[in-house]
This record gives sequence, structure tokens and C-alpha cells, in this order.
Amino acid sequence: MPSTTVTSLGYTPPDGGWGWAVVFGSFLSIGFSYAFPKSLTIYFKEVQEYFSVSYSEIAWVSSIMLATMYAGGPVSSILVNRYGSRPVVMVGGLMVGVAMVAASFGTTIMHLYICVGVIGGLGLAFNLQPALTIIGKYFLVKRPMANGLAMAGSPVLLFTLAPLNQFLLDNFGWRGSFFILGAIVLNCCVAGALMRPITITAKPPANQSGGDDDGAVGKTDPQAVRLIDGKQRPERAGCLARVNKLIDLSLFKHRGYLIYLVGNVVMFFGFFAPVVFLAPYAKHQGTDEYSAACLLSIFALVDMVARPGTGLVSNTRWIRPRIQYFFSFSVAYNGACHLVCPLLPGYTGLVVYAVFFGLAFGMVCALLFEVLMDLVGAQRFSSAVGLATIIECGPVLLGPPISGKSCIILRFTSTQSSKVNNLIFHTTVHHLHFTTQRSLETCHANGCVLWTPSPLGALVDIFMDYKYMYFACGVMMLVPGLFLFIMNFFNYRWLKQEEHEKKREELPMGSARELATMEETKDSEQNIKLNQEKQLTDSDNKEP
Amino acid sequence: SLHIIFINVQKIVCFDDYFTTSQHTGHVIVQELEILKPQKIELSCIISDIPNNPTHIIGYWKKNGNEIENSKQTVYKVDKQRFIFKRIFNIQVNDLGNYSCIFSYLDKQEQVTFLLKVPVMKDKRDKPIVSYVGDSVVLDCKIKRMPNTWQWYKSNGTEKVLINATADPMNYKILLEKNVTKLTVLNLTEEDAGKYICSAVFEIKSSESHVYLKVLSLIEPLKPFIGITIEVVILVTLILLYERYGRSRNDSSVDDSSGTDGRRTRQRNLVH
Repeated sequence: MPSTTVTSLGYTPPDGGWGWAVVFGSFLSIGFSYAFPKSLTIYFKEVQEYFSVSYSEIAWVSSIMLATMYAGGPVSSILVNRYGSRPVVMVGGLMVGVAMVAASFGTTIMHLYICVGVIGGLGLAFNLQPALTIIGKYFLVKRPMANGLAMAGSPVLLFTLAPLNQFLLDNFGWRGSFFILGAIVLNCCVAGALMRPITITAKPPANQSGGDDDGAVGKTDPQAVRLIDGKQRPERAGCLARVNKLIDLSLFKHRGYLIYLVGNVVMFFGFFAPVVFLAPYAKHQGTDEYSAACLLSIFALVDMVARPGTGLVSNTRWIRPRIQYFFSFSVAYNGACHLVCPLLPGYTGLVVYAVFFGLAFGMVCALLFEVLMDLVGAQRFSSAVGLATIIECGPVLLGPPISGKSCIILRFTSTQSSKVNNLIFHTTVHHLHFTTQRSLETCHANGCVLWTPSPLGALVDIFMDYKYMYFACGVMMLVPGLFLFIMNFFNYRWLKQEEHEKKREELPMGSARELATMEETKDSEQNIKLNQEKQLTDSDNKEP
Repeated sequence: SLHIIFINVQKIVCFDDYFTTSQHTGHVIVQELEILKPQKIELSCIISDIPNNPTHIIGYWKKNGNEIENSKQTVYKVDKQRFIFKRIFNIQVNDLGNYSCIFSYLDKQEQVTFLLKVPVMKDKRDKPIVSYVGDSVVLDCKIKRMPNTWQWYKSNGTEKVLINATADPMNYKILLEKNVTKLTVLNLTEEDAGKYICSAVFEIKSSESHVYLKVLSLIEPLKPFIGITIEVVILVTLILLYERYGRSRNDSSVDDSSGTDGRRTRQRNLVH
């Protein structure tokens, strides 16, 4: 795996130094992208009363924001491919800031849909993709660690934004809070400023500059890389070629990428529902509201620690080469947790489940993009993640109407003592908006309204018992876990076979190819010599 | 051991005039009744399984902690097991309060308390609602049982001033909807801030709840906004300056070595 990504990048990533500042920038960007839409739900009750609209209408704001964030993935990828990460993130941060300020002067709910939903969502899309992409550009050896740390931004920022939003709401009302949030979200521009574009050092072609320490420096033009590799790509004319230059559609022919997509799409059906149902299931078992909220806090804290921890573990030399297996294991482990959950007795059983589930959730989150980078390589990652998110975006918009009928209302009255836990409950329950928003759940101060995809919500409705839902989720996680495991096993084997075949092909052609490469290097050497002479003469002329 | 069962006997007037909930804390038994209309109510306490099986017990009634005159009674057993001790009360506006039946056997005394009151709005409203000058705001009140009507007051120190929405439609709108009422205050000014009282009017008495309104000027949120924006601008400038300083230092250090090398690396340092 690593060797192919190096040649596809065309340079050795620094793996440290300024890279850690970039990780912090990504931490902020990813955190805002995931946590911001969820934390906005704290304002919904007041906004709903102000505009005198129904609950589902106000919930659309969050839904549109998340949907746009995913639909904007390809647009973001195209811009990153063209301009690099830094300008896109800074523009994204500015967009969200302006959108929130505009929303604070809103007079109708449509105003909010457009400002917060569309423009805000697009701005967040411009934050998410570049943040993920630039990690792949700065890290290779320590990339899982960097990914784990950056993904930890989501729970940490959620934990910070939720109490902050409550504080703002209490002191400034929803309009003032949106206004101030516009400024807070400008910190994404700071994150963008940290994402310094990388100065690349390409690997020198054979025999060229043996003396140079850091090797010859040059543009990683796709054509140059191809020459170095000795491959030739035929020209493709027309519309498809233009689209392909912007975003790499050939990814859909990439076997590993297809496996990833199929596994993920099935997995997300059962991924977030257990988080949503954790508290109501606990209350169903007879625990009080405060303890149920504590469960979610435990879950969130374990998640926060599990993400960098998983990054660290997957960086070790035992796991790194087999990271796809590790990912499929963590997906299956999620499923196992859910299957076991209904069997655990009492509150202590639920606490144990919350701990293990938090660990599982964090593991999958931390690895989600790392395995994608591992599969397609950092060069194509930008397009890959854009295409993946737009496929996951459809259900976001379809979620609320389809599942409107299977709606479960939880009464969660806030008391003074459980105020903090109430907030944590709000935030961690929203934590389920992971990378697909097939379920939308919004909390307001006195209750939680859940919209879940008909199958899951209907399961609880029909049987009035949560254990069937947990069994279903468990199965829906185990199956893709096993699928990914088996398919990746075959994928590794096929890749090895292909490498062997490539090497065998190269042998008889070797002599012809060697000649060709020698000719090329001679030509380039001559060019460089000419340049050097030109420079010397130039400098001679310039010197007084 | 001792079992105390108590039953509130029905309506002598009509149904849906009161609602009850009961709670037991230790040995004190309390039953709450929400009274909506003036009516006659029979409160009864049924006692069974007293140790030593006396033939009769003595009981009396208390209202708000004071013994009601001539309420002392000797209660005889009914069907060999239970004692029924009851009394009819005519509940008017002033008669709401705590009623207790107390009976003694051997050296012990047992007490059952009935709390008669109007329905109460229980949600805590300690956090004020915040709005802005020139904007409008919606204040609401909810109650479980349907009152005859709702009324809104604004509190000026110790006084209550009734809000008449029909007399002042430019500034107030009142929405009445069974169990919910909403007061919309339009064209807010800073004088509109303060305590608003919503009153659910029942036939017997009114039940009140309050909500605080805070009106801010537009400058209030502007201060943190400007503060944070300045912080962002400073940080971004610092980061970009640091980068430029770092890059110029790299170039200048390379210049110290041979001239041609420096120019070569500078020429080839391309940014991706």
C-alpha cells in the first residue's frame, strides 16, 4: 500500500513539523463541520415560537444544512484539486460567518433555510473536504495518528459548542446568538491559515542529481509523474475529459473504492440509531433522566479518547499494513456491541455497553477516512471523499418526510441539577449525525423529537421494545463488517497478483523500456546542463 | 400491619370538576385535588387491619392545621374489618387548603391529608426571555386543565397592570387556545422589559405564573462580535506573517551558500 501512494503523490510528505499545526487546523475545521449543525438545534424551540411554525419546519434548517454539506462535497473537491486547501477553507469559514450574520436579521423561516441551510452548509462543505485532504498531503507514515487526532475535533467541539450556545441563548436570545456565532465560526479561517500549502520535493528520475541532498525539485505535474513511471495515458476528448480533469470519476472503476462505498452505505443504516436510542432505552429500563444523560456523557467522553487512541494503534507496524481489516473489525465490533446490549442487565450493564459502544463508535469514526486514503491514495482522496459524500447525502433530504410517521417523542424535562447533563444529552444525542444523516433528531429544552428511518422507528413502534431495534442494528453492522473483511481479503490478494503480473510484464519489455528511460534521462540531463550554463552566463552578465 | 385506604367520593355536583393525584412519603399520606369549580366534596378515609381489633375508633378533621369544631366522631366498624370516616365539605373560594382526617387507636395517631387547590403551572421560569428593541417576542403559558379564560398582566413593582390587547393592537396580541395562551409584544422598547404574569381564570380562583422579559439594544451582541472578529484577524495575520518570515529566512540562509545553488533552489521551489 505505501509504495503506491508515494508514487501517486510524487513526493515524500514531511510527517511532522508544521504537519502538527495542520492537524490542529483540521481538528478545528472538522469539528466545526460536524458539530456546528448539531449544536444549532439548541435554538430551535425559540426560533419555532418566534416564527410560529411547526417543529418539522424548523428541523428542516438543520437537515438542509447537513444535506448541503454533503452535496457540496464534489464542488469542494473540485476547488481543492484546483486551488489547494487553504483558500477553500478560508472562503468556507467566511461563507458560514456571513450566512449566520445574515440569518440573525431574518424575517421568515425561508430566510433561515437559505442563509443557515444552503450557504452555511456549503461553507461547512468547503471546510470538511480540504481539512481531510490536507492531512493526506502532510502525513504518510503517521497518517492514521493524524487522522485520529483530527477526527477527535468533532466530539470536542460539540462539547464546547453546546454549553456555549446555551449561554449565548440565555444572554442574547436567538438573534444575538446567531450574530455572535457568525464571528465564532470565523475561526475556521484561522484553521485555514494554518493549512500551509506544501512545497514539494519530487523524487529525482534515475541517474539525475546524485549530489543534491533533497533531490531535484519540480512540479508534480501529472504528466511528469507519468514520464517517471514510464506509463503513457491516452488522451480523452470531450466533456468527460473535462469533468475528469476537475474530479476523478475513474474512481468508480476502482475496486477498493467500490467495496468501501457498498460497505459504508449498508453500515450507516445501523450506525447512529443506537446512540439516539441509548437514553430512551435506559429510561425504558427504569433509570431516571439524570442517569440516562450520564450514559450519554460517558459515551461521548469515551468517543473523544477513542479517536486519537485508535489513530495511535492503527499507526503501529502490526496494524498499518492491515488497516482495512482493522476497519472491518471495528464495524463488526459495533454490531457485536448492539447484539449484546439487550442481554445486559440493569444500569451497570448499560454503563458497560456505553463504554464499549463509545469505543466502537470512536474507532469507526477515526478510521473512516483513513481507510479511504489508504485505498485510493492521497492524490485521489479529494475526489473520492467528495463522491462518497454526495452518495450519502440523498437520505438526508429524504429522511424527515419518509420517517415522519415513525416519530418517537421523549419527554426530558430539565431540572436545575441536571442542566449540565441536559446539555450533554443534547449534544451527544446529536452526535449521531455522523457522516450520513439518515435520521434527524432535534432536541429542544423540554423534549427530544426523533425522526428515524421507517424501519428502525417502526420496529420500536410495532414491538414497543427496544431490543428488536438493537438486534436489527447489530445485524446491520455485523453484515457490512464481515463483507468488508472478506472483500478486503480478496482485494489484497488480487492487488498482490496484479503487482506480480506487472513485474512479470516489465521483464521482457525491460530492455526496451530501459533504453527509452535512458534516452529520456539523457535528454533531461542535457536540458538541465543547458539551463545551468544559461544561468551561469546570466549571473556572469548580472554581476558587476 | 396497618392499611389505610382512602377514597375521595364522587361529585355531588358533576364530573371533571376536580382531579386527584396521591403520593406517599414514609408514613404521611397526601392526596392532591385540583378543584376547578366551587362544589361539595366528600372526603373519606377508610381504615382497615388495625392491630388488636378495637370495636371503634375516634377521629376528627383538621383544616389548614386547625381542628374543625364539632368534627370529633366515634367511628364504628363496617363489615367487621374496616372503619369508614368521612365528611362532606362545601368548597368555595376561601375553602381551598389542606384538610386532614386524623384518627387515633391505642396510643397512636394516623393522618391523611387532602390538598385542595387550583391547578398549578409547574414549569420553572427562572430564565428570562431575551429580545431586541424594535423586534417582537412571544410569551407563552401552558396549563394542564382548561381554564375559563386567560389574562395577562404586566408587573410594575408591586402592582399588576392588565394588558388589554383589543385596546392596544399595535403593541399587543393575545392568543387564547384552550390550555395554551400566547402574548405577542410588538415594537419592543426598553420599557417593555420586566415581569409578565399570565393568569388562568377558573371558576373558583385564578392560577398564576410569571415570565421575565429582557430587552436589549442592538449594540449588546455587537461587542463580542467585534472582539472575536478582531481576534480572528490578528491570528490569521500572525500565522501568515510567521510563514512569510520563515520562508524569507530559508531563502536568505540559502543565499549565504554559493550564488548559483541559491538561485537554482529558489527557481525550483514551486508551491503545490
